Amino acid sequence: MVESLQHLFQGFGIAMTIHNIFYCLIGAIVGTLIGVLPGIGPIAGIALLIPATFSLNPTSAIIMLAGIYYGAMYGGSTTSILLNVPGETASVMTCIDGYQMAQKGRAGPALAICAIGSFIAGTIGIFGLVFLAPPLAEAALAFGPAEYFSLMVLGFVVLSNVTGTSLIKSLMMAVIGLIIGTIGLDPVTGVARFTFDSISLLSGIEFVAVAIGLFGIGEVLANVEKPLEVLEERVIVPRLRDLYPSLQDLRKAIKAILRGTGIGFGVGLVPGPAPVIATYSSYMIEKKVSKHPEEFGKGAIEGVAGPESANNSACQAAFIPLFVLGIPFAPPTAILLGALLIHGVIPGPMLIEEHPQLFWGVIASMYLGNFILLLLNLPFVPLFANILRIPKKILLPLVILFCVTGMYTVNNSIFDIWVMLFFGGLGFLIRKLDFEGAPLLLALVLGPKLEVAFRQSLMMSHGDFGIFVSRPISMIFLLSTLAFLMIPVIRTAWRSMRKGGGT
Amino acid sequence: LVFVFGAVTSCFSLQMSIGTFRAPGSGLFPLCLGILLMALSGAHVLRVLFQGEEGNKERPVKIPGLPRQVILFLGTIVAAILFFSRLGYPLTSFLMLVALLRILGMKRWAWNVLLSFMVTGASYVLFVQWLKIPLPKGWIGL
Repeated sequence: MVESLQHLFQGFGIAMTIHNIFYCLIGAIVGTLIGVLPGIGPIAGIALLIPATFSLNPTSAIIMLAGIYYGAMYGGSTTSILLNVPGETASVMTCIDGYQMAQKGRAGPALAICAIGSFIAGTIGIFGLVFLAPPLAEAALAFGPAEYFSLMVLGFVVLSNVTGTSLIKSLMMAVIGLIIGTIGLDPVTGVARFTFDSISLLSGIEFVAVAIGLFGIGEVLANVEKPLEVLEERVIVPRLRDLYPSLQDLRKAIKAILRGTGIGFGVGLVPGPAPVIATYSSYMIEKKVSKHPEEFGKGAIEGVAGPESANNSACQAAFIPLFVLGIPFAPPTAILLGALLIHGVIPGPMLIEEHPQLFWGVIASMYLGNFILLLLNLPFVPLFANILRIPKKILLPLVILFCVTGMYTVNNSIFDIWVMLFFGGLGFLIRKLDFEGAPLLLALVLGPKLEVAFRQSLMMSHGDFGIFVSRPISMIFLLSTLAFLMIPVIRTAWRSMRKGGGT
Repeated sequence: LVFVFGAVTSCFSLQMSIGTFRAPGSGLFPLCLGILLMALSGAHVLRVLFQGEEGNKERPVKIPGLPRQVILFLGTIVAAILFFSRLGYPLTSFLMLVALLRILGMKRWAWNVLLSFMVTGASYVLFVQWLKIPLPKGWIGL
């Protein structure tokens, strides 16, 4: 424990250089803007800015990209409260009471509690990360290909189970993502697959193109279809002096913040879209433990404080599986994994030993980033809220310009822009057909790892599939996968039984 | 459509070396995925067909028609990509912005052109001058 603290202090030494503070600040500001602006989320935002980090060292690059991630989570709450439009899916629960507070003229305290709650949750989350990551990394050294394979399968199934409207549809998207991930050179034998003699396809489909396409272009196209002037008319911009919450607000919120932090951190460690599950669980628990549950949905400050803290804490915890296992459980961390690989850093159990500067520097920068965000979000909320007044007819073409330019800069390739546009069209269509893009993206990033783990396991066991169940950790992951697959079946059977009993 | 994608994947995988489970070849993993995708899409179709209203609580599956504005918007981006190398970054960006703003309802040409010019200039300074990214110069040579 003392050793971890020493490392953390060294990390602060790295994060507090002028250079890294600057990139942390840039990440936090850009992230907040991305979170505030509808039409571009953290996934497309991080993907778009990866090319801008090419000239940076890996530590500064990840500090900036991580700043965008948690900055976007902060920014997402602003649109939820002021517009009743969640900037991110994780901010959906904040809309319920946050917007009601804004309607009652209490947008300021709602936004301030979001910032304070996120700061407290982020701070506690970082200490959790510091103390949990090193022992988990040691434990992960015992993982072989079979364990990694089963864990990734569990990740896909959990993500598919909680996103979208149907498990089968989400699983289909994940399998499509895995198939797209096989395009290019076979990671084991080096044979070209599905390239159709195209040199551009030899290196595979660029995941940045898929991310920007599905989540950037797809979102813009979905917005183009909607009436354009809807958003601008409803913005409530609070004044600076109305921002500060009363002592009573703080007293009510503090327990919710602490509970939300605990829930968020726990949920962030397991596979799935942690912030979404964490915010939902936190809201439900706050409603349950409240002495006045009837106030929920009508502007209860606990309904804002709990989910927002859970959201931030889950984001911090999600870095643990990314750093110590090299397996991202959610699309934003999948993009960060891609960024790490681009910078020549392979996350996994050895990351802490091989790249201590990056690991501890990034963790320390998160604390710094949270502090910057607190300073940014409290006095500058009116400014960020005013950004929402930019008409969508101006904003959407700008997003397209940045997508096209950003995509070209990754490999200086027009082919990548075509790929991005193709996935943009696909992203638009799957939204209309109620499919979910997140499992596809996660599968695309993890696909090559999954295949290598699958083939290595079979080679180790001489073709015996029993290896996946004979190893205890792998078996636990597979049993959990089975449980998650059975949940919708049991739920449907239970519903039809009740329906049958009722008639 | 998803079933067909799975079937095509499986067919192409069979043309590669499948190997054995003891020594899996390049085609084994995509073949498994193709079969899994066909099974999942089959299960989805069966669910929609046999579960009736229960299975159809989600919106019914139908290929949506593309609204005119989306087609125009996409068409403009396609045209911009086609001329990206020949016209160069600044000119393509400017023309694309003018067209996209117009499609989205910016009717006043003066504002439209001024805004497109300013944004193009700012992005040129940011990407080309500051970040030194080698974007296509095209025939205007910028």
